[in-house]
Amino acid sequence: MGLSRRTLLTAGMAASALPLLPAWAQPSPLRVPQPRYGGRIRVAAMSSSTADTTDPAKGALSTDYIRHHMLYSGLTEYGVDLRPRLALAETIESRDQIHWRVKLRPGIRFHDGKLLHAEDVVYSLMRHQNPAIGSKVRPIASQLAEARATGPLDLTITLTGPNVDLPSMLAASHFLIIAAGTTDFSRPNGTGPYRIKSFVPGVSTIVTRNDDFWKPGKPYLDEIELIGIPDEVSRVNALLSRDVHLIVAVNPRSMRRIKESGTHDLLETSSGLYTNLIMRRDGGITGNPDFVLGMKYLFDRELVKRALFRGSAQIANDHPIPPFHPFYRADLPQRAFDLDRAKYHFAKAGVGRSPLSIYASPAAEGSVDMGSVLQEYGARAGLNLAVNRVPADGYWSTHWMKHPLSFGNTNPRPTADLVFSLFYKSTAAWNETGWKNERFDQLLLEARATADDSLRGQMYGEMQEIVRDQGGTAIPVFINMTDGYDNRLKGLYPVPVGGLMGYAFAEHVWWED
Amino acid sequence: MSAASPATGQSGTTFLLTLIVRRLASGLLTLFLVALVVFIVSGLLPGDAAQEMLGQSATPEAVAALRQQMGLDQPASIRFVRWLAGLLGGDPGFSMVANMPVADIIASRLPNSLILAGLSTLVAVPMALTIGIASALRQGGRLDRALNTATLSMVAVPEFLIATIAVLIFAVELRWLPSIALVPASGTFLDLLRALAMPVLSLSVIVVAQMARMTRAAIIAQLGLPYVEMARLKGVAPARLVLVHVLPNAIAPIVNAMALSLSYLLGGAVIVETIFNYPGLASLMVNAVTSRDMPLLQACAMIFCGAYLLLVLVADIVAILANPRLRNR
Amino acid sequence: MSAIPDAKNPGWAARLPLTGKVGLGLVIFWIATAIAGPWLAPYDPGAFAHQDVFAGIGAAHWLGSDYLGRDVLSRVLSGARYSVGLAAAAAIAASTTGTGMALLAAVSPRWLDEVLSRFMDTLISIPSKIFSLVLVAAVGSSLPLLFLIATLIYIPGAYRIARSQAVNLAQMDYVQVARTRGEGAAYIAIREILPNMIHPMLADFGLRFVFIVLLLSGLSFLGLGVQPPDADLGSLVRENISGLGEGAPAILVPALAIATLTVGVNLLIDALPRRRGSKEG
Repeated sequence: MGLSRRTLLTAGMAASALPLLPAWAQPSPLRVPQPRYGGRIRVAAMSSSTADTTDPAKGALSTDYIRHHMLYSGLTEYGVDLRPRLALAETIESRDQIHWRVKLRPGIRFHDGKLLHAEDVVYSLMRHQNPAIGSKVRPIASQLAEARATGPLDLTITLTGPNVDLPSMLAASHFLIIAAGTTDFSRPNGTGPYRIKSFVPGVSTIVTRNDDFWKPGKPYLDEIELIGIPDEVSRVNALLSRDVHLIVAVNPRSMRRIKESGTHDLLETSSGLYTNLIMRRDGGITGNPDFVLGMKYLFDRELVKRALFRGSAQIANDHPIPPFHPFYRADLPQRAFDLDRAKYHFAKAGVGRSPLSIYASPAAEGSVDMGSVLQEYGARAGLNLAVNRVPADGYWSTHWMKHPLSFGNTNPRPTADLVFSLFYKSTAAWNETGWKNERFDQLLLEARATADDSLRGQMYGEMQEIVRDQGGTAIPVFINMTDGYDNRLKGLYPVPVGGLMGYAFAEHVWWED
Repeated sequence: MSAASPATGQSGTTFLLTLIVRRLASGLLTLFLVALVVFIVSGLLPGDAAQEMLGQSATPEAVAALRQQMGLDQPASIRFVRWLAGLLGGDPGFSMVANMPVADIIASRLPNSLILAGLSTLVAVPMALTIGIASALRQGGRLDRALNTATLSMVAVPEFLIATIAVLIFAVELRWLPSIALVPASGTFLDLLRALAMPVLSLSVIVVAQMARMTRAAIIAQLGLPYVEMARLKGVAPARLVLVHVLPNAIAPIVNAMALSLSYLLGGAVIVETIFNYPGLASLMVNAVTSRDMPLLQACAMIFCGAYLLLVLVADIVAILANPRLRNR
Repeated sequence: MSAIPDAKNPGWAARLPLTGKVGLGLVIFWIATAIAGPWLAPYDPGAFAHQDVFAGIGAAHWLGSDYLGRDVLSRVLSGARYSVGLAAAAAIAASTTGTGMALLAAVSPRWLDEVLSRFMDTLISIPSKIFSLVLVAAVGSSLPLLFLIATLIYIPGAYRIARSQAVNLAQMDYVQVARTRGEGAAYIAIREILPNMIHPMLADFGLRFVFIVLLLSGLSFLGLGVQPPDADLGSLVRENISGLGEGAPAILVPALAIATLTVGVNLLIDALPRRRGSKEG
């Protein structure tokens, strides 16, 4: 694009849809009749526990993200094409990708009537650095060197290094805006489409329509009750018995029942969600490049897609960028199941008959069954694998990345930079395989500072190739996120950063009885 | 049943009072032991509350900061003594995970568990007594064998399967009953009954079998004794014979089995609570385990232990009141 | 079942009532399946043998396929040994240990009885599923550990039942007579008390066996239990639960297997001939 970065970030964000129209006025991909007002729905998310929170910084589960998007708004939000749109911010601009100027939309009110001020944004962004807050995005937020209010609606953000993707980053639910000085979240006060009516951690969240919501005409529903039903079978049954009207995370094996019901439908979102086999560099045989390649050839991706996910997945190529991503490299050859090559590499690596343990857990979706697949095929390639299933609790702290072979699970990230920085950069806390590739690290920093999309595309393309060929991670498929809904609920469409329209469905949907 | 001291000559009331005081004393000891066992065993669990809270996003600095904030940087023994001291002062502590006092969390869940257990008791106990007495009276007969096989089959099916089948039939197909036990705050008693019908049914199925089998065995043991023969010869009607003569003598093992089964209704309801998404204590305790929320876990353990001890005590008192001869054991 | 009291008496099986014969048949069937199952299985229990999931009954796959397209018959045949072997071993261990400790308590000085009883109360008052959840999460779920955990969890229940029996029996005239005769505590416990409580303890063992089979399935509900790709019968039910809506054999067969196994054991025990005037209750 020949535009300077400055113009790209102001007009450009709207330009991806219709020029000069505010974000909420873009047409949704589904051309739908006029929304109706009123109605009350009940939504069932995957889990709720006493750890449920109304503090956006602490959001840990999809239930939290959904709750936070009902109560709060962010500076930016995600669109269907994975690009950020302006929300509370009227403009976000930068010349050098380090110093950013943000101007807020005027006249926006918090639920308690207070006007949105630049100080609220400064407070919301900078609190992530405080370790006592327990923010989930502290490693990302550490890029924010400083934020300062320069007027009631103006602020500047200074980064520790250039990052083109700041507007994307700020659309995450953790960076939603709260009122300055908030420490008590028992009566959450946001600028979001719904106000809190009641909140009982581990039981339910009830919100009512915010009549002063800053997007004209929205939201449509009078009330939403959000509950958690951890057991998937119970969740689907609750949907089909009409006790709830929208559910997240439908298991592929339940999809047939929902589709055939005639009264319910599925919202399938292609996403960057993946469960990967982690082969530690420092794990002995798992650090051997031939062993790693052998394992990558051993993964029967078609079987994983068909048997584990009933087709509701996309074949992956051992790197974390999904096929629909703007920076996906399509000309990279697809690695496929090849028992002979696997045997060849295993022989070269000198694997013996001594058993190798793979740690799998329900915490990493599908990993236990993937482990069974590898064990079954491994036996044919002369590999003695033993699946060690461990409980979901304690998995991330005691098993993930702690064994030569374990499974990880990575939620979709909106940008290539985020997923590469968090999981593949040599100095990242979650450098899962413990690898170090200097060329990769160098490209990562260069791409961050590059405003030109085609140049960035080339850089990210080369990084995909490096991870695919030299990384210690095997990614068999990207898992679709599937939600189920009652046909009477309208206005849903997929947003690929997560299920339920990137967890922000609340302001978009309406009820037709 | 813990044998009370031989108390020949004591009046019944004094005897009962002594029993209760003794039980309270030993109960406190048991509660302390439970707290200790739970504390030690849960100390073996991988990860702590800070790590679980941060989950996949834990970094060493973040964990250290959160640990300090939660007081987890203190040695385990000190945390235990502090918690114990707090409990003795009437404060069960603060849940770092929920950021709420433990007492508040318990207060919101305990009534739910008690309602569920209470309703299940109302269904299961009469059912078990009826089945047990009926099969004892027809011992060896067709009815006995049928009831026996039926109760066995009931207990032989995993409870999540029973509950899921019930949901498929009554909620998904027929839409008679809600599939999840959500009672709106404005709900009437009838709403409550509708919401709890399937959970109560599922729980009852599980506990009826054991109670019915014990009732049957206890009554059969009595039916062979001379005093029953005597009464029968005197022409006492069978129903009256069982209810007035046999039941009081067979009551001890029956109420004891019931105490065990009923304590299951509180702590064992975890699967039923999960399937029907019912906010009870058992799933709260599982929650406390998985989030490593020690004060909450301990509080739940204390409640379940207390409830168990209380049920056993009540069982013994009922047994003694119904059959004064037991006093002399 | 090693504890059948009259096993040495020839023809005892023929004298069983019909329910007992049915029970005996089921028990023999399942023991045979547990031993021979893995060899009889037509497919590897971990093999992805079928293109479709939750397939129905067919010629190549007699009992259809499971949630991943694995052969149900093979999985049931090779899973039976966990439910039969592990659960029976744990139930026997729990019942004998519990009974042994109860006998000890019945003939020991008061303080020992008190100590044992308080300790058992402690264990029994922690809900069993949650306790096993904690234990499995803490120490792991290899087969020996699962056996130990299941045993530990069900000892207190067996102890409670056995102790109430033993204390009752210890008051009986013939025991008092033996005591005045100067018999030792061990003699009284084993020769006088134990024979009279065998039957109720066997009945209790039957139920305890059921509970352990169900505990394994309950653990699999909470995501624990026998390590994959193997699975006990209860885990087979659990992992195929989404097939319930379509009535897949993958869920019905293991559920039926559990029912026939546990009902069989209990029918057999109920029908066993009793010794001299056993005092139940």
